[in-house]
Amino acid sequence: MKLNEGEIGKNYVVTGVLAEKRIARRLEALGVNERTPVTVLNKKGSGSLIIKVRGTRLALGRQIAEGITVEEARMR
Amino acid sequence: MSKDNCPITVAFVGNPNCGKTTLFNAFTGAKLKVANWPGVTVERVEGETSYEGHPIRVIDTPGVYSLTSYTIEEIVTRKCIEEENIDVIINVVDASSMERNLYLTLQLLELKKPVILALNMMDIVEERGMEIDLHRLPEMLGHIPVVPVSARKRSGLDVLMHAVVHHYEEGPQGIVVRYAPQLETKIGQVEAALRNRYGEMDNLRWHAIKMLECDEEVNKDHPLKLTGIVDYSYEKDIINEKYDYIEEVVAECLFNKEKKAAMTDRIDSFLTHPVWGIPIFLGIMALVFFLTFTVGDFLKGYFETGLEYFSQGFLAGLQAMGASPWLISLLVDGIVAGVGGILTFLPNIFILFLALAFLEDSGYMARVAYVMNETMSRVGLSGKAFLPMLLGFGCTVPAVMATRALATERDRRRTILITPFMSCSARLPIYVLFAQMFFGEHALLVAYSLYLIGLGAAICIAYVVHKTRGNEEEDGLLIELPEYKTPNTRTVAIYVWEKVQDYLTKAGTTIFVASIVLWFVLNMGPGGIVDDVSGSFAAMIGRFLVPALKPAGLGSWQIAVALISGLSAKEVVVSSFSVLYGISNINSAAGMTELSHILAIDGFGPVNAYALMIFCLLYTPCVAAIGTIRRETGSISWTAGMVVFQLVVAWIMAVLVFQTGSLIF
Repeated sequence: MKLNEGEIGKNYVVTGVLAEKRIARRLEALGVNERTPVTVLNKKGSGSLIIKVRGTRLALGRQIAEGITVEEARMR
Repeated sequence: MSKDNCPITVAFVGNPNCGKTTLFNAFTGAKLKVANWPGVTVERVEGETSYEGHPIRVIDTPGVYSLTSYTIEEIVTRKCIEEENIDVIINVVDASSMERNLYLTLQLLELKKPVILALNMMDIVEERGMEIDLHRLPEMLGHIPVVPVSARKRSGLDVLMHAVVHHYEEGPQGIVVRYAPQLETKIGQVEAALRNRYGEMDNLRWHAIKMLECDEEVNKDHPLKLTGIVDYSYEKDIINEKYDYIEEVVAECLFNKEKKAAMTDRIDSFLTHPVWGIPIFLGIMALVFFLTFTVGDFLKGYFETGLEYFSQGFLAGLQAMGASPWLISLLVDGIVAGVGGILTFLPNIFILFLALAFLEDSGYMARVAYVMNETMSRVGLSGKAFLPMLLGFGCTVPAVMATRALATERDRRRTILITPFMSCSARLPIYVLFAQMFFGEHALLVAYSLYLIGLGAAICIAYVVHKTRGNEEEDGLLIELPEYKTPNTRTVAIYVWEKVQDYLTKAGTTIFVASIVLWFVLNMGPGGIVDDVSGSFAAMIGRFLVPALKPAGLGSWQIAVALISGLSAKEVVVSSFSVLYGISNINSAAGMTELSHILAIDGFGPVNAYALMIFCLLYTPCVAAIGTIRRETGSISWTAGMVVFQLVVAWIMAVLVFQTGSLIF
């Protein structure tokens, strides 16, 4: 599934960053990578969201969130 | 060997918003702008300090997440580290967000230059009940010195400088991150090829790793045929392995991670609420302006009394000295009225900037980018473009410079085009004066409406540009949201003091000169000094524009002159009224009554006043802003087009307001 379909409060694991190259690079440098765990903290109807990743919060627009595929994290 | 004469060069490098600039300010005594949102420093800045007799040159760099070269900030920072003779890199790390920050650290360690880790924000770490193992951490980072500091509380600074002076020749030891075997093999192969072609290098491993990432800069500097070794970019693998290593570091060195981090999340559930986010933002802005007007007005009285006394004493003194009438007129009606009148608005300006400083330092600003993202993306910009616009409430000049943080030239120009519509602090005196003069108890509401109209105009114009220039996708929002923190007294004080100084400087320079020039054009005509102002140069120029301004309800030559003078600085519109009508204390109750009586003779009422405020809100920004815009866009024709465009918008809006207003009232 895509990250923008995620639900508030749930934990996910990134399976792929498919965004445009320039944005993908920025995401990678920010630590959003395959196998990275993320938590959706906040989400708006239009699809922008705030995620917690690697200890910090990132606000993402819908277009960027659509380029990140995730799967639900197994309970740890 | 004494190195006393040769300064040690130190570069502060770190993630955006990790406190580099606060630390830099603490060392150099400089007062650079600091705010709790990323991207404030856009250029490298230098300063000097010394420790135990060693002169030290310090360089502040823009915040970066990585040493690639995809953004302007990264290029500036990387150039600075690679090209200048940097003796030591102080890697500033936000200890409360180590996972993110250590990624850059690992890249810096690969450079093999001496690195000192400044663990900043230790106070926040302690507040949250987190603990960091300061013995294990350096062991895992190549035995570099790790110094806990708090830039805000100014603790640990001496220890940091001590480390600089004593470790500036020691690079990190050993290899910190060992990659997977197949990557290490590749690194070895590239290293061998590099050594063959270019001889021994200090940071061979770094070059090899960068080549595996297919880094353009390194490939340009050291071209090398690597077919068979590097077939595609290994960047992803390299990044992942670095982050894996960071996870190990964090697991071993950081304790009680999540204990209190929830505070920010709890605040965010209100401030970034999907529905209430925008109303809360508008409410916060309303509160800012409410404070600006009420508290500012409360303090204003003292300034007025002071000005009154000064003006009278000055006049008496001049008369006692037997100064000639024209000199008295120039000094009292021109300079004291013009400059003094502006000074009485200082309390309002002070409160406005105090409130903005609080907002910036608390961490709220970056949230506004998220809250406004949908509104902005409907007009073809990302929420990030809203940050410079917000700064525009303070002053257009830094706001225009802040657009550098935007990714594309297209977004920058669009944001620059609309930023001047955000009502800057220089326009505040105009509202304070005219809203109070004509709207009495509704003054506050009227003034707030102007801020909203400015914001609305900016968004509408962005929308029109977006629709006419095609619907390309905007650059999506991607911004780090800092933790909320209590605004730091020192940071806020520096910020506000700087703005107050700017205001005073402007009163002493631009407004001073404008007042003198205005006095001369008012008192001189084609035939020399005139007794009746209607024969002066000013009246002649003003009358020329009256027909154009008449439909907007601004059809008097005095208003035309005030608006032209306002191009030097918007406050000058107010000081011009003082000089034009010879009112010595325009911001006092007596001064306002006097001015409104004079204006009423020409039939100038509340509707005219509102049209005037609308015109002042929207028309061409001051010369300083225009100059900045020209520099930042690099285009004279674009800037000229913008100036004309804003004049036209202001005129249309003022005419609309005046014509409909006249029909209704």
